[in-house]
Parts: sequence; C-alpha cells; structure tokens
Amino acid sequence: MNRNALTVSKLTKKYEAFTLSNISFEVPQGTIAGLIGENGAGKSTTLNSILGLIHKDEGAISVLGSPVEELQPEVREKIGVVFDGTNFSEELTPKKLNKVLKGVYRSWDEEYFFALLIKMSLPAAKKIKSFSKGMKAKLSIAAAFAHHPKLLILDEATSGLDPIVRDDILDMFLDFVQDEENSILVSSHITSDLEKVADYIIFIHEGRLIFSKPKDELLESYGIVKCGEAQFDMIDKQDIITYRKQDYEWQVLVADRNRAKKKYPRTMVIPATIDEIMLLYVKGENK
Amino acid sequence: MKGLIRNNFYSMESNLMVSFIMAAALVFSPLIINTPTVYPMIIAVQVFLFVVNTGTALHADEVAKWNKFEITLPIKRNTIVGAKYITFAILIFCGLFLSSCTAICINFSGQIWNFSSILWGYEYGLVLSIISVSLMYPIILKIGTEKNELVLIFSAFAAIGLMCLIAAVLSPLTGEMNLQHPLVGMVSISVSLLMFIISFVVSVSIHKNKEF
Repeated sequence: MNRNALTVSKLTKKYEAFTLSNISFEVPQGTIAGLIGENGAGKSTTLNSILGLIHKDEGAISVLGSPVEELQPEVREKIGVVFDGTNFSEELTPKKLNKVLKGVYRSWDEEYFFALLIKMSLPAAKKIKSFSKGMKAKLSIAAAFAHHPKLLILDEATSGLDPIVRDDILDMFLDFVQDEENSILVSSHITSDLEKVADYIIFIHEGRLIFSKPKDELLESYGIVKCGEAQFDMIDKQDIITYRKQDYEWQVLVADRNRAKKKYPRTMVIPATIDEIMLLYVKGENK
Repeated sequence: MKGLIRNNFYSMESNLMVSFIMAAALVFSPLIINTPTVYPMIIAVQVFLFVVNTGTALHADEVAKWNKFEITLPIKRNTIVGAKYITFAILIFCGLFLSSCTAICINFSGQIWNFSSILWGYEYGLVLSIISVSLMYPIILKIGTEKNELVLIFSAFAAIGLMCLIAAVLSPLTGEMNLQHPLVGMVSISVSLLMFIISFVVSVSIHKNKEF
C-alpha cells in the first residue's frame, strides 16, 4: 500500500532562462513537508507541476496514488490548494464563494466553511476586493479546508498574515495531520513557521534539490562551526557542507555538530536553524 | 459545472447590471423613436449588449488568478471551458429576451412594423454575438486577457465581415448582395452556430495545452 500522499521523482521542467532539474522527494501520509528556497528557486514551478498547471518535461509525480497526468475529479476532490494572494474572483463575497464552491465540490461542508469564516473574523457579505492581503489568504485557507481534503498544497499561504493569525493557522495545520491520514505540502519563506510544524524540509536552490530531510534531523544534527581563518584551514574538507566568511569570522555548515564539537574543540559549534542552513547554502561557498 | 457558471455570472455582475439597464431602457425606445428602420438595429444591439461583458469578466478572473485556481478543482478542463460557453449562451438568451420585450413594445405601441426587418435585427444580433464570442474566447485563451477590448472589437468586425462575405457568396441566389435577405440570415446563423461548436473544440484543446 502506498503510504506517500505525494511522490515526486526526477521532476524536470525546462524554461528558456531557468531549469528545474531532477527534483525528487516524498510527502508521507500524516506529515507536513515544508518547501523552502530563495525567490525564483523553483518552488512554485514544483507546486504547479504537482497540480498539473504546467506540463513537466521529465520525471514522474504521483498525487494520492494517481499519476498527475491522470488526476481524476475524484482525486482532485481530496486536494486543497492555496496560492499566494487571491484565488477567487474579487467581485465575490465569501457567501457567494460558498455557493460557487458548493456547486463544485461534492464534499463541500457549508457549515464548516461559515464556522471557519467566524473563527477567522472574515465578513461573509463583503466583497473580496475590499479584503486585505491577510484576509484574502485566510479566506483561501478556509475554502481549502472546507471540503475536507486529504492533501493540502499551499504556496506561500501564510506570507500575508500577522503572527497571531499565522499561529492559529499553523495550529490548524497540526490538527489537520493529527489523524495521520492527511498531509500538507507548504512552501514558505517564513522558515520559523516550518520549524514549528513541518516534519520534513525540502530545500530547492537554483532549480536543484539541495536536500529533502526530516526536520528533526536537520535541527538536531546540523551545526555551524564558528572559527577564525587558521582554524578554518584545519577543518577537514569532508566535513564542510558549505562555508561563509563574515568579517573576521568563518561560518561552516556541518552535518554532524556533535562530531564537529569533538573533532574541533577550539572552535565554537552551535545548532543551525533552518534559516541559517538555507542562508549558508545560498550565500556560502562550497568546499 | 453549476458552480462555475455561477462564478462566471458573479464575476460580471456589476457589468451585467449596466448592460441590463441599457437593454431595458432600449425596450421602451419605440415609444419615443418613431422610426421603424431603426428597430432592427435596436434589437441587434440588445442581443449583443450582454456578451460584450465577457472579455472584462475573463480579464478579472485572470487578475484574480481564478483561471489558475479552477484547474485545481475537481472538474475536467472541458467542463471548465463548457461552463464558459454555457455562460455565453445564457448571455445571448438574456439579450434575446430583452429584445423580445422590445418587439412586444413595438407591437403594443401601435406602430406599423415590418416582420422581416425585425427578424433581420435578431439574425444580425445573433450572428454578431455568436461569432464574436466564438472568436474572442479562444484568442483570449491563447494570448491572455490584457487586450480583451481589442479582441472583442476585432471579433465583432470579423462577424460583420463574415456576414458580408456570406451575402456576397449567396448573391447569385438572392439576386444582389443583400444582407437582409432571409437566406443570408439563415446561412449566417447556421455558420455562426457551427463556429460556436468549432470554437468550443478549439478552446478545449488550447486549454488542455495551456500552462497556468
């Protein structure tokens, strides 16, 4: 039995000025996977390929057990999608949106949708065009939840929200995956959000997959060695994932910080946050 | 499908209201304008008035990214396109309904009116509306909605051009190039309906290959 909600294998998409190359990762059922990377790294191209919005050049994508090319309405019914910004016609009100989506999703839960509107303090009778960016994001999230999907795919869904609402939404995400049947793939610039909720981190840089790892492995194992030039020269090149020189300090990303602590006792080894890992990969140099 | 059609109408709600007010005002124009030669044009304009909103609505959907989002919904792409064409058909029927009110108004105003010239008003309005949307939608789907007004104007002129072409081709049968000849009207409507069906097939194909 397939226990992956989503499998992406060797996904390649070529554009004139950009290539998404050989991306492979999995999102197991009951987990939250966070897709990270700088602007233009290929996160949206990856998500759009998964949703069948663009045609991949190579590779295979399986969504809830179905190849993306053959996604039937019954499977799409189980996928909730939130894009950055608005998803809906600006002339609509949430009330009218309910009528629209009720006529599209068989599993649309009207009562739950209106309960979510109240929970998120969204006016049901106001036109979407009068909503702030945050309100639009909340409405999109409410609509994605209201048909009880099995897989949520969110592209920068929390970017316009204030920290309090974001926290509520993240709690909703955690509740959503509690039953170990539902899964989420979320791309975000706010890595602190992903540190809070994600089980896996998928990092894409310049169209290539840097890693797809359990978040705990990253946070518990990865570390930054801070040292001077002389100490840097003594570090075994095999241990260096990437490094960066800042003024008089060298920052070296290592995969096993406990080992690094023992091996290089004269340096300072600190845990690395996802933000720092990303930054060192993007701005650092390779050994 | 029902939800998509509903969304199409919600998207152009405010524009439709303007069209309705204009078309409704024209219903009573025979009471003021006592010129029977103008009536066919009034009827044709009423039939066409509602479909002119489609370009603006498509543009609004593109700006709001609804056209991208609707692909993620549990519906097939030909259903998405089908919903658009049903919407176009409903808009044309709205125009036909209000123009029928005008015909009734002409009748009740006690004026002398020519049935064949009124019929030509309907034919002209229908051909203009059907061919315009049949050309406009696949073009907009292909090139985007930014130039929707220009595409609408082009489509409307193409519709008039096609009607003139049909009249020219049929001139040996009609005696002269006569746009108001019933045969020209019948053939023009048949051609426009055929174009509507072909347009749907072409649009489905464009939509399936389009990347959002």
